[in-house]
Amino acid sequence: MADWIALGDRAIRFARPPRSARTLTRAVRAWPGVIDVVVARTEVAAYFAAEPRVDPAWLAALATAPDDPDPGRDIAIPARYDGPDLAEVAAALGRHADDVRALHAGATYTVETMGFSPGFGYLAGLPAELELPRRTTPRTRVPAGSIAIAGLHTAVYPFDSPGGWHLIGTAGIRMFGPEGAVLELGDRVRFVP
Amino acid sequence: MTLSIVRALGLVTVQDLGRPGRMHEAVPPGGALVVDRLIAANRAARNPDGAPALEVLGQLAIRAERALQVATDTAPLRELPAGGELAIASEPRRVAYLAVRGGLDAPLVLGGRGALLCAGLGGLVRAGQRFATAGLAETAPPAAPAPDAPDAPIRLIAGPDPASFAPGALDVLLASEYRVLPTSNRVGTRLDGPALPRSDAPEVSRPMVLGAIEVPRDGVPIVLGPEHPTTGGYPIIAVVARADLGRLFSIRLGGTVRFTR
Repeated sequence: MADWIALGDRAIRFARPPRSARTLTRAVRAWPGVIDVVVARTEVAAYFAAEPRVDPAWLAALATAPDDPDPGRDIAIPARYDGPDLAEVAAALGRHADDVRALHAGATYTVETMGFSPGFGYLAGLPAELELPRRTTPRTRVPAGSIAIAGLHTAVYPFDSPGGWHLIGTAGIRMFGPEGAVLELGDRVRFVP
Repeated sequence: MTLSIVRALGLVTVQDLGRPGRMHEAVPPGGALVVDRLIAANRAARNPDGAPALEVLGQLAIRAERALQVATDTAPLRELPAGGELAIASEPRRVAYLAVRGGLDAPLVLGGRGALLCAGLGGLVRAGQRFATAGLAETAPPAAPAPDAPDAPIRLIAGPDPASFAPGALDVLLASEYRVLPTSNRVGTRLDGPALPRSDAPEVSRPMVLGAIEVPRDGVPIVLGPEHPTTGGYPIIAVVARADLGRLFSIRLGGTVRFTR
């Protein structure tokens, strides 16, 4: 079912077809007039240089868009498990802090979507043993480089910003710089203590 | 070096037409807050429309280190002799642009030369900072400047999240006068006025767009500016028509705005 809604007069939004963000981004960027794409958990937006002109066939074709042949890269992020919430997280999960570190560093994650702040990747693949709801009170300032978990996701905050995730560590690399974002949609990520 | 900054108060940055094409990396488009005024200043200075210029939300004074020519979005090109100073202020508008003949020399980073504060690119212009000119070739003299836009209501397009609002919320927005709060910046323009009641629909992180009017739980609307987050959980009640966005972002802090369909 090809259906969309106006997001002002330069963009449209539609329900996310069941494809990877990388595949969707590549397919939508090929539409005539499109200059930008954002894939979120449940919705996609396409941004146009002028008033959007959309062929319903383009949307219908997304469900069967060919997978991006580029398989994504393997990214290793040096990690120190020294976050201010580590002890609290371990207690809430009924585990030792060393278990939290071993579980988090033992998994391989995929950059599922990007959003919130430049270079911020939502990494899917957090072990179910580490699943926790967000903090009840968000912090007004999370330091850049913080490794955080919430729900079934982990992430590294690229910049100082407000945030409601649990801070379990610190990344040893800058996640965004003059070369752009370290992470790209579809990359596989490991944290290396 | 060609010019030095004598005084910079408020939010003064180098801006051009931004960095479109990187929203999939969560990088917003950035660029001038009021694109038409950047272009007006550049055309007055016989620069290409997207030449880097100084965006001033507040006050700026410069000193010429050698003779140069400058224009603003409201004043034609003029000669500034070596040692000469020029002060401009954004009042009575929210923002003013100062263009130097030849354009400001600023490094090209990720496809743009302007500051994108949310991405740590560039920074606030400060007293004592010095700039060279880029030596861009002279363009044709500008046509007569466009007349100031009429003081008409800002046109809106209904938002994509009606189920996230109580019935009648959009009517409240359309029927009320809002004041531009001093906490506004390049990320968002915060409005003070009647709250726009939400429904109890859950918040879902969704794609955002320049000019979207998002509504946090407290009901006080925020119009997203060029440094907006690319995704966000607050629902969108309406989006400002692109043709009217510059007029909205030109309203001085403390000024009032009305909206229409």
